[in-house]
Amino acid sequence: MAAERERIVGGDSASVGPQAPSAGSRRARFRVDRVSVILFIVMVVCSGVMLYPFGFMIVNSFRTENQFLTGVGFSAASWGVLFKDLPVGVELLNSALVCTAAILLILAWSSAAGFAFAKLKFRRQGVVFIAIIGCLMVPVQSIIIPEYVNLANVHLVNNYLGAILVYAALGTPFATFLMTVFFRGLPDELIEAGLCDGVSYPGAFLRIAVPMAMPALATVAVLQFIQIWDDLLIGLLFLQEPTNRTITVGLAVLSSGNVVSVPALMAGSVVSALPAVVVYLFFQRYLVRGLTMGAVR
Amino acid sequence: MAAGQGASASPPVTTSGRRRKHHRSGLERSRSRAGLVLVLPALVVVGALLIYPIGEAVYYSMTNWDGITSQWVGPSTYVTLFQNPLFWRVLQNNGLLLLSVPIAILVPLGIAAILHEHLWGWRFFRSVIFFPTAISWVVIGMVAVRVFATGGPINALLGGLGLKFLQIDYLEFPYSAMAAVDLTFVFSMVGTNMIIFLTGMSTIDPAIYEAAKLDGAGRVAAFRLVTMPLLKRYFQFSFVITVITAFGALFSLIFIMTGGGPGYGTTTLEFFVYQQAFSEGLFGTGAMLGVVLFVIMFGLFLVQARLLRGEN
Repeated sequence: MAAERERIVGGDSASVGPQAPSAGSRRARFRVDRVSVILFIVMVVCSGVMLYPFGFMIVNSFRTENQFLTGVGFSAASWGVLFKDLPVGVELLNSALVCTAAILLILAWSSAAGFAFAKLKFRRQGVVFIAIIGCLMVPVQSIIIPEYVNLANVHLVNNYLGAILVYAALGTPFATFLMTVFFRGLPDELIEAGLCDGVSYPGAFLRIAVPMAMPALATVAVLQFIQIWDDLLIGLLFLQEPTNRTITVGLAVLSSGNVVSVPALMAGSVVSALPAVVVYLFFQRYLVRGLTMGAVR
Repeated sequence: MAAGQGASASPPVTTSGRRRKHHRSGLERSRSRAGLVLVLPALVVVGALLIYPIGEAVYYSMTNWDGITSQWVGPSTYVTLFQNPLFWRVLQNNGLLLLSVPIAILVPLGIAAILHEHLWGWRFFRSVIFFPTAISWVVIGMVAVRVFATGGPINALLGGLGLKFLQIDYLEFPYSAMAAVDLTFVFSMVGTNMIIFLTGMSTIDPAIYEAAKLDGAGRVAAFRLVTMPLLKRYFQFSFVITVITAFGALFSLIFIMTGGGPGYGTTTLEFFVYQQAFSEGLFGTGAMLGVVLFVIMFGLFLVQARLLRGEN
């Protein structure tokens, strides 16, 4: 067990033990026994399974319908079909627009609310907090029908603003929760020092708290980006025109039409998944933090 | 809303030490006002777009709403729903989905336990296994359709194992299609739950393991007796996330994989809401199903909280 503990200390920055890792011989500490080899193989198999859909998509996007059925040969023809049948550029722009606007709104009001819950005392604070955070428990389907009718009545269906507002509202409870948790971790003295210098409370929020909250804001942004980019239901209901569809909705509609070949759909899948994959590769750390912060507090 | 009324009420001022108190109450008042101002945008949005529609859903669930006009029917709409065999058929699918929740928690728990041993390349494995979390259900569903079809890899695998009689198009029959949806759901939950458990395990002090080792516990015993109890709140979180996903976020997957079919074979409550409202025009029924879904999920969380508290 002593050897195992050293490995943990050397391998993971999160669990820093009393012994300092000696950098030179780190690799030598990975135990090579029969159990470890078996576990390693199990992990290789798991990784293969997890990567399978992505590999399947890429490989088959470079096939024609016939090549897909026979499994022999490659061609880029399906990519041409995709760009002909799906307004890929417009849909990517729509997705980007809706995502960006919704995320900016979420960041603005959830950080303000989080700061208020963590650092300011106001009347009915507890009730307001529960009202907002409690909405985490509400499934989208429980509200979507009245929501749709309400927004249709004020002409916000088939309007970017409608979809943006619904996405922003759905993301607000969790974002507010994360921001509250983050701001609770900031020392009160920082805010008080600012107040002594004559800064108002909103000023302390904007000039002291927000600049320190950049990691938390990034976490919220990454989490929401993945969620909104990948969403189908809201887009399907609130952006129905071919010209204002997001890429995920466009792809789903194309797929349910059953007229486009599988390889072209796979090419579309690659295109629609790529932005989220890039965000994942660069900001995985923030995504992990966002998912686990709920468990820590 | 409720908080708005509180803003105008002035804090109590006592007569003794008036100047200091007055100064402080001024600061308190400005802090209270700032708090309300900062929380107001979030509160208005959540109130208008999340809380208000719940109220509407409850009201309209007792009407014959078609999206434009509605007539009050009363709570008997719920009785009618509970007498509808189709409702129970759909609920059965939710039950089948719930059966896969333990798998969607235990498989990633196992993977996390292995990765926590920090074997060679574990960071790489962690990234790869977490990777599908970034990909939309639409895309995963589109691949899953091909995976479970005749001539797909599942059938090839079964053929290779000599199980030729199991070679079918799994999306063609109700229960096998539901099993396929279950399996795809488990696949997609592995990354998220693995990360949750890995985070939990990294918070456990290695010294505890050494103490367990001194007491004669092996790898498996240490995991069962040390790791598992210390991961309780992570189990709770993972359960909540998994149930929320299973009952409230599989719409896109079902839409792409099966469209709820064959028949009602893969129509879950969540998908039924959409079908009733937007295909059948029964907005009142849709709203009612949404309310039922909310109550069921809330009930599951209460049961879960009670069970885990009882273990203490």
